[in-house]
Amino acid sequence: MSNAIKDLLFKMADDALIIGHRNSEWTGIGPMLEEDLAFSSMAQDKIGHAQALYTILHESFGEPSPDQLGFLRTEAAFRCCRFVEQPIGEYDFSIVRQFLFDHAEYIRYDLLAQSTCKPLALLAKKVKGEIKYHVLHGDTFFKQLAQGTEESKARMQSALREAWHQALGIFEKSEFEEELIAQGVFAGEDELKKRWLAKVTAVVEAAGLQIPETIESKIDFGGRRGYHSEYLKQLLDEMTEVVRLDINAEW
Amino acid sequence: MNSLDPRVNRLDVSKTMDGGLLTNSHLITWEVFHQDKRGKQVVHCGIVHANTPEMALILAKEQYARRGKTTNLWVAKTSDVFTFNSEDEDIFETTPEKTFRDPGFYKVRDRIEKYQQQNKLNV
Amino acid sequence: MYGSTNLTEEEAKRMSTTQEDPEKLEAFEARIARGEKIEPQDWMPAEYRKQLIRMIEQHAHSEIVGALPEGTWITRAPNFRRKLALIAKVQDEVGHGQLLYSAAETLGKTREQMLNDLMSGKSKYSNIFNYPAVTWADIAVIGFLVDGAAIVNQTINSKGSYGPYCRALERICYEESFHLKQGHDNVVYLATGSKIQRDMLQAAINRWYRPLLHFFGPPDKMSAHSEKLMKWKVKLASNDEMRNQFLDMYVPKILELGLTFPDPNLRKNNEGIWEFSDPDWDEFKRVINGDGPCNKERLAVRRYAEEAGRWVRQALMNPKDKYQVPLA
Repeated sequence: MSNAIKDLLFKMADDALIIGHRNSEWTGIGPMLEEDLAFSSMAQDKIGHAQALYTILHESFGEPSPDQLGFLRTEAAFRCCRFVEQPIGEYDFSIVRQFLFDHAEYIRYDLLAQSTCKPLALLAKKVKGEIKYHVLHGDTFFKQLAQGTEESKARMQSALREAWHQALGIFEKSEFEEELIAQGVFAGEDELKKRWLAKVTAVVEAAGLQIPETIESKIDFGGRRGYHSEYLKQLLDEMTEVVRLDINAEW
Repeated sequence: MNSLDPRVNRLDVSKTMDGGLLTNSHLITWEVFHQDKRGKQVVHCGIVHANTPEMALILAKEQYARRGKTTNLWVAKTSDVFTFNSEDEDIFETTPEKTFRDPGFYKVRDRIEKYQQQNKLNV
Repeated sequence: MYGSTNLTEEEAKRMSTTQEDPEKLEAFEARIARGEKIEPQDWMPAEYRKQLIRMIEQHAHSEIVGALPEGTWITRAPNFRRKLALIAKVQDEVGHGQLLYSAAETLGKTREQMLNDLMSGKSKYSNIFNYPAVTWADIAVIGFLVDGAAIVNQTINSKGSYGPYCRALERICYEESFHLKQGHDNVVYLATGSKIQRDMLQAAINRWYRPLLHFFGPPDKMSAHSEKLMKWKVKLASNDEMRNQFLDMYVPKILELGLTFPDPNLRKNNEGIWEFSDPDWDEFKRVINGDGPCNKERLAVRRYAEEAGRWVRQALMNPKDKYQVPLA
C-alpha cells in the first residue's frame, strides 16, 4: 500500500515543483508589473505545495528530507508529467498551461480531501484556497485573452492546440492506480480527467475557442513512469547547479 | 545573448521594443481598498493597473494581500472616485466654539447632585 | 531599491532662479516646515514636482532593473528555503517598482512615459545593478549589503515631504527588512559553511565592495548641493552621511564573520567617520553613462519584457478607456 501512496505523492510533488520552477522563470520579466507579481506568487505556492508533499513522504513514509527529494534525485526518479517540463515559451503557452494544469490540480485536491491517507487529506484542505485563486486567475486571463484582439485570440487557440496532448499526459496512470482507488486514497485518474474535461470545455467554449480533437496516440505519456522529455534533465541540471558545488554543505 | 542568467539565454532578446509605449498601454488605474479584519474599516491602500473590475481584484490580491491577514479587497476605477479640491481643505475647519458636538460638552453631574441635596433624595 | 537626488550643477543653478507665486510658495514651504505632507492635488512648485518625479522614477526603475541581477539565480537556488525566499524577494522588488511608479504617477507622469524613458536610457537607475551576479554568493551579498544600503537610503527618504512616496516607502522598508534578514541568513550560512562556500562569499564581497561605496553617489565635496531640496524635504541627508551610516551598520557584521573588505584603508577614525580608499569615481561616471558590465543586457531584457508582453496588454486594453492620474 505505501508504495502506491508514495507514487501518488511523488507525482504530485514533482508536478508542483517543476511547474513552480518553470513559472518562477517569469518573475521580473512578466507582461505587466501586476501580473508579474501574481504569477510569481503562484509559482511560490506551487513550490510550497511540493515541499509540503515531500515533507509527507519524509515524515510518514521514511523518505529522505524534502531538499534531498526535490534537488538530489535523478531524472528517472521523477514522476512529473511531461507537460510541466516544457519551457515557458511565450505568455500564451504559460497561461494556457496554468489554466489547464490548475483545473486538474483543483479537482485532484478536491477529491483528495476525502482521502484515507490522512496527511494528504489534511494538505488538500489547506491548499484549497490557494489553488482556487490559481484557477480564478487562469480562467480570467484565458477568457480575456481569448476574447481580446485577433492576435491574442489566435495565439490562445494555437497555444491550446500545442498544450492539449501534453496536458492529457497529466492523467497517465501508474501501476498502482487500482490499488489507490480500492483503498480509498484517490478516486483515480479517469474520474479526475472526466471532471477536468467538463470544466475546461465549459471555459474554453464560453471564451469562443475550440477544444482540440484528442488523438489517443498523440498524448504525451511517459513522465509518470520516469520517461521524460529532453527538458527535464536540463532543468534539473540547472536547478541543482549550486547545491552540487558542495553536496555535503548546508546552503 | 550570452548572459549569466540561464533564463535570459532562453529569451529571444532580439525581440525588442520598436517605438515607445503608448498611453494606456499599461491599462488604466483602479484604487484599491483593503480590510484586514472583519469588523474593521476598509482602507485605501494603493492602485493597480487593470482593465476590468475582475482583473483589478485578481491583480490587487497579490500586490496588496500577499502578506498578513486580509478579509476582502474593494476596487474602484480611479475616474469613479471623487474628492474635494485640496485648496478647499479649509471647509473642514470647524470653529472651536462648536463644542455642542462633543460628548465632553454635556456635564450634568453637578446639577443632579444639587437637585438631590435640595430635595434630600437618597438613592 | 534606491533613489538618487544628485543634481548636475546646471540643474542646481536653474533651481535657484525659477520664479514661483511667492504667496503659494510660502504656504507650501510653511506646510513642510510644520512637518505636514504634500498630497498629489496640492499646489507645488514646478521644480519640486520635477525633482520628485525624477527621484521616484529612478527609484522605481532601480527596483525593476534590480530584479534582474538577482533573478540570475532564481532557477538555481540550492534548496526549498532559498528558492522560495529568492523568488519572493525578487517579486517584492517588482512590487516595489509597482508602488513607486504609482507614487510617481500621482505627480502626472504616466507609467508608460517612465518606462519609455528607462528603455531609451534617458532616465537612470541605480548604478549598482549594472554589475553582474557572478555566483550564488553574490545573491547573498546583494540581499544583505545592497539591500542594507537601500534601507539606509529609504528609511531616510520615508521622512520626506511627499505623501504618496512616504506611504510607498513605509511599506517598502517593511519588506526590505525581510530581504535583509534572508540576505544575512544566506551570508552567515556561507561564511560558516565549507571552504568552497566561504571562498565564494569572500570573492563576492570583494566584487561588491566598490559598487557599494558608489551606491550613495559621489562625495559631498564633488556633488552639487541644493539648499532648496533639503528645505523641501526631497533630500534629507547627504551622500556622505548616508554612506557613513551604512558602513557603520554593516562593516562590523561582515568583520565579525572573519571576512574582510578589499581595502587596507577602510577604518573608522576618531571622529566616528569611516575612511576608505578612493573607490574610483571615474568608473562610477563611466558606468552611469552606459559603460558598465551589464548596462546593455539590463536594458535589452527590459525592452524584451515590454515587447513580449505587448500583445497581452493590447488584448486587455479597452480603447475607450481614458487615462486619469491616480489619486494616491
